[in-house]
Amino acid sequence: MSLLEVKKLTKRYGEELAVEDVSFELTERTSTALIGPNGAGKTTTLSMLAGLLKQTEGSISWHNGTGIGFLPQYPQFFPWLTALEFTEMAAKISGVEAKKARAQSVRTLEFVGLGNAKDKKAGAFSGGMKQRLGLAQAIVHQPKLLLLDEPVSALDPSGRREIMNLLKSLREDTTILYSTHILNDAEEMTDQLLFLQHGKLVEQGSLKDVKTRYAEPRIRVTFKDPESAGLFTGKAPWDAVRDGHIVYIPVKGGHPAIEEVMGYFAANPSGADGVERQTASLEEIFLKVAGRQ
Amino acid sequence: MNQFGVLLKKEWREHVRNYKILWLPAVFVLFGIIEPVTQYFLPQIIESAGNLPEGAVFEFPTPEPEQVLVSVMGQYQFIGLIILILAYMGAVAGERRSGTATLLYVRPLSYPAYFLSKWVMAVSAGLASVWLGFLGAAYYIWLFFGDIAAGDFLQFAASYSLWIILFLTIVLTASAALPHQGLAAAVAMALVFAAQILDSLLGVYWTASPLKLPAYAQSWLAGAPDAGDFWWSSVLAVLLTLLFIGLGIWLSKRNAAQTKV
Amino acid sequence: MSDLTIVLALLPVLIIQFGLMIFALVDLIRNPRTVGPKWLWGIIIVIGNIIGPVLYFIFGRRNY
Repeated sequence: MSLLEVKKLTKRYGEELAVEDVSFELTERTSTALIGPNGAGKTTTLSMLAGLLKQTEGSISWHNGTGIGFLPQYPQFFPWLTALEFTEMAAKISGVEAKKARAQSVRTLEFVGLGNAKDKKAGAFSGGMKQRLGLAQAIVHQPKLLLLDEPVSALDPSGRREIMNLLKSLREDTTILYSTHILNDAEEMTDQLLFLQHGKLVEQGSLKDVKTRYAEPRIRVTFKDPESAGLFTGKAPWDAVRDGHIVYIPVKGGHPAIEEVMGYFAANPSGADGVERQTASLEEIFLKVAGRQ
Repeated sequence: MNQFGVLLKKEWREHVRNYKILWLPAVFVLFGIIEPVTQYFLPQIIESAGNLPEGAVFEFPTPEPEQVLVSVMGQYQFIGLIILILAYMGAVAGERRSGTATLLYVRPLSYPAYFLSKWVMAVSAGLASVWLGFLGAAYYIWLFFGDIAAGDFLQFAASYSLWIILFLTIVLTASAALPHQGLAAAVAMALVFAAQILDSLLGVYWTASPLKLPAYAQSWLAGAPDAGDFWWSSVLAVLLTLLFIGLGIWLSKRNAAQTKV
Repeated sequence: MSDLTIVLALLPVLIIQFGLMIFALVDLIRNPRTVGPKWLWGIIIVIGNIIGPVLYFIFGRRNY
């Protein structure tokens, strides 16, 4: 079921177009990654969806009763409130019953790993702790839709891993739209990709679709040694490119199929150790799409 | 109503943890008692300064108790107002600029509750400070110069309070209107001081003016102000306060998009 | 009025003023992140009379 439908969303600042003609749909309980270079309009798009900015043109239609949670890239907290006080206040403003707000806040803070710091003032929090508190305030009222602006970009690798795991565990009952410029993150948790550049949506679809569209897949054959690889390249029935002891066979229009290649090696032992099908990484696609513009 | 309570608690904590609840009354009390103390010791201070010619006798007229209280109000009308501006210029603008408001604005926030929670807290803290200051002053005046009738004092302080409420409302509305707290302070200050100048230059043509409330407050100490003038000024002050509250709510909502994301 | 009453009369002024100053200084020392250099705020609080601590509370702390 569609939770949110965005049609021809446009934001103009004077003459400058920050977001232009962006349309997409979010299906319930899916994760969508909004990717694009810095300044592509990711934050502006999320701010409009969060209701912080009014669009110049276009429409945003919600499925009835959709509560949202929003995590800005650099969440700011009143330095004089403790994590629990802030989360509880946030829950109450979002309509959580006063009786339940405290318990729900404590549980949420424990979930994001701030159980021991819940009575510390946010003014003393490190960047990583602020990010966790930011996530806590975004999910404390159990919204159907989570909007996250670069949720892990500012974190170190271990912090990034932990937050990504938290987000993955939320996927079961939450729809997530998050922006990132780190493509490994996007690859990890994506049902739909939205590729924004210069304010325009230049590519969209499921991760698989986008990959098949862009990445010419190839078959990667690993040989015992460069010599065997060289020998194979010389007599291979398909186009083959050697790189040391590895040979790549580009797949065009579905040919050759991996079974075909494996059948060949079964019939002609050539010193091949492994055969696998590869698609280009999102990073390569990103560069390709960016280069095309 | 529910959101108002939640937000008022937040404002209360802000006042307590930033110590505003301590320093704001402390400053008004200090200015309130320094005035009678210096007036009382003024002759001695001048004498001890020395350079009086031999045999010269200066007669310092002892001020009436009411005059001293009026000088305290004079202090509040300048330094007091500036301190109130500084204390509340960032109430809305500061939150937007630092980005702390973002996580409130992104929720189904009631902007009337948001603005009114700030208004109730600012007016409570401001009035408590002014009243404590006047009471401290009255105590010292009683000690040094003689007493002021309790009824006169109450009428005086209550009339002045109407003016302080209007003033604080203007400061909060300026904070909601402008992108920067410094700008809010400058505009609130310019607006009030320009209005005061206008009122003192051309004010002879009208008698009903909220800006004349401090003067009418003073009149309660020496009898009573003209009833019509006083009540019309009070009604105008209340109406203007309500108008600025409405404007402040509207501007808080309209300018929510200025919050740093 | 005796000298003692004068002293007693002045006492509250001194208590509030020094109280405010010491309170501001203690907060300044414990504050991990002031706006602007700490030593400058220290000077402002001490020589600024009544207004010094007020300026520190308004401009020296991160309040919002």
